[in-house]
Amino acid sequence: MEITTTSKDNATILSLNGRIDTATAPELEQAINKIIDGGQRKILLDFAGVTYISSGGLRVLLATAKKLKNPGDKFGICALSPEVMKILKLAGFTSIFSIYASEGEALAGW
Amino acid sequence: MPAGNDQLVSLEWQPLPGAGGAHIFPLIRKIDTISSNSYLIQTPDAIILIDPGGLPAQAEQLMQVVTECRAASERPFFILLTHAHIDHFIAIQNTPALAVAGAAVLMVQEEGAACLERGDAAMTQAAMFNTTIVPITAGFRLITPDRRENPKEPVELCFSNGALVTVTAFPAGETSINLDRETIVFGPDSPPLEVFHTPGHSRDSICIRMGELLFIGDLLFAANPGIAGLVGWSQEDLVCSLDGIGVLLDTGEISQLCPGHGRLIPVADAQKMLPLVKRDAATLADIAEFNPDRATEIATYAEDIMEQVNQLFTVMAGRLYYISYVLDELEESGTAAELGTLINGDDIDELLDAFRTFSEEHHMKKGVSVHLALKAGQVVGKLQRTFKTDELAHIIDPGIVRRTERLLADYITIFRGFTPPREVTVADLSSLIEALIEGLTIPPISSDAVFSSTDDEKAFARVLLASIGTRPLLEDVDVVIDNAPAALFVTIDRENFADLLTYILEELVGKGSSAIRIAVCGSGGDATVSISGTAPSSSQACESQKTDRFLTGLCERAGASLSANHDENTRITYTIQANRVV
Repeated sequence: MEITTTSKDNATILSLNGRIDTATAPELEQAINKIIDGGQRKILLDFAGVTYISSGGLRVLLATAKKLKNPGDKFGICALSPEVMKILKLAGFTSIFSIYASEGEALAGW
Repeated sequence: MPAGNDQLVSLEWQPLPGAGGAHIFPLIRKIDTISSNSYLIQTPDAIILIDPGGLPAQAEQLMQVVTECRAASERPFFILLTHAHIDHFIAIQNTPALAVAGAAVLMVQEEGAACLERGDAAMTQAAMFNTTIVPITAGFRLITPDRRENPKEPVELCFSNGALVTVTAFPAGETSINLDRETIVFGPDSPPLEVFHTPGHSRDSICIRMGELLFIGDLLFAANPGIAGLVGWSQEDLVCSLDGIGVLLDTGEISQLCPGHGRLIPVADAQKMLPLVKRDAATLADIAEFNPDRATEIATYAEDIMEQVNQLFTVMAGRLYYISYVLDELEESGTAAELGTLINGDDIDELLDAFRTFSEEHHMKKGVSVHLALKAGQVVGKLQRTFKTDELAHIIDPGIVRRTERLLADYITIFRGFTPPREVTVADLSSLIEALIEGLTIPPISSDAVFSSTDDEKAFARVLLASIGTRPLLEDVDVVIDNAPAALFVTIDRENFADLLTYILEELVGKGSSAIRIAVCGSGGDATVSISGTAPSSSQACESQKTDRFLTGLCERAGASLSANHDENTRITYTIQANRVV
């Protein structure tokens, strides 16, 4: 999985490309933790290139949500493929995270 | 009396227990479908290789040992097959040292010899593994009718390798071991070698005894899924063969069994295994033949269901994580931690990843279907063992748990050669659909149930978990049902139909459809249900194709037919056509 990190409007955007599975979920978790440890409290995951998410990937998303729940923190996911959206929806995750159609829509609301 | 405790060591010469003058060099491999174990035996009069295997490298390694033996003392060389399946013999064809005419005499039960001589791709399983075989002549046919006609009369046979061998036939029924049998003596200083005809796994299967060892080929695997039903397999014969070998083991003269695949088996373990194999075999009376066409069908089905199994397990694990998250918020971390034991997400992810990688390599290398079907069988078996259905069904939506359980069970059923159970009854289609939609709309745990359990701490915890873990699929979805004006009776398998409708609704709602329209109508002998919603078209054509194929198969098992229409405006319509009872 490729992770590209950019900054925009005081938020850090991680654009992900590939599968979030047993092998790559820890890599994503490390990348997110590094950003949070650096003091950034607004994180948007751009899922436009994510083709699959495993239960390990779901756990990383929840762990991030737990870390970013203070007032002023922001955590969201945007541009989900229908397949990944289905998993998040059926697992009940859409009631925890803010899910946006696009990066622009997310940042406009932050 | 055999001790049975001394395991033979692989790749070393050692005395063959109970057979003075004979030594054995076992080559024990990890279990796979490519090549069998091999057992090399030398006596003062002969060198005998039981099952050269399926890999040229394995045969080359054995031939090097044979060459050393012959250099030490030149003796006739025999290759003896427990049965003529390619994983036990194809190395003969691909190994020059073995293929040289006259270098070795091939010993095979007579039906196996006939298969080899006509290059029978079906009986040898060459077709199943997409392998080409060339006709091979067996110089020494075992358990032949002509020798059976003259029982107990020693016959001397002279071979091209210079050997003079004495064979005596003992027909079935002569002893309580009710199997056709021949005793072979390779020379005055050699212990006798006994051959028992044990058909079942294949028509030509034999068990071979020398001293305290019994070489059993694939007898103990013969009832396993993916093996039972192979061309040449016979349930009736297998049960008789297992009975006969059971009697032989009870004589106390055998200490270890040398299988065609995997480690040696002490006789006490084998005596425990035989009744279990027989019990399995007894259930396999009407299984379908496991041939290449069926292997392809099963492999396709495996890929389709694994896509669904993957989604269901990810959703179930996700639900548990979600409950843990909410419990943490409620400062109930202890209860949250306990949930982690219900599904080991990492182990399951690894299993599913392993299948996916295997499947990708299979398609890239154009592998044989049987390998994919077997791999899926392994993965499904492991998932079944790790899946704590009862506990999970109390916490998350029992419908998801039950569907997952059924998918896994159906695969094993089909893999074993059976048809999954189907119960087609007459039902009113509109009532069925309404009941299902209601079940997917109303939370299964009411607020009253939560409040009334507050006096009992354990009951409250359970109700709380279930109320967090079960989220009705259609709670925020606008569902419109256009029912037929009157009751519309159809013949349908209710469970499969309910599963089908749930999968379709999950597909639509999960992918973002906030409104679903269901239209039920009847026309002549047909009843039609169309379910439509709006969802973005799939970015992964392959997965979408697998899902449609899976749903079509499920609909057929429900006793109806399905078509899916994905139009350009992201509208998806599934149409189910059932048989109307007028």
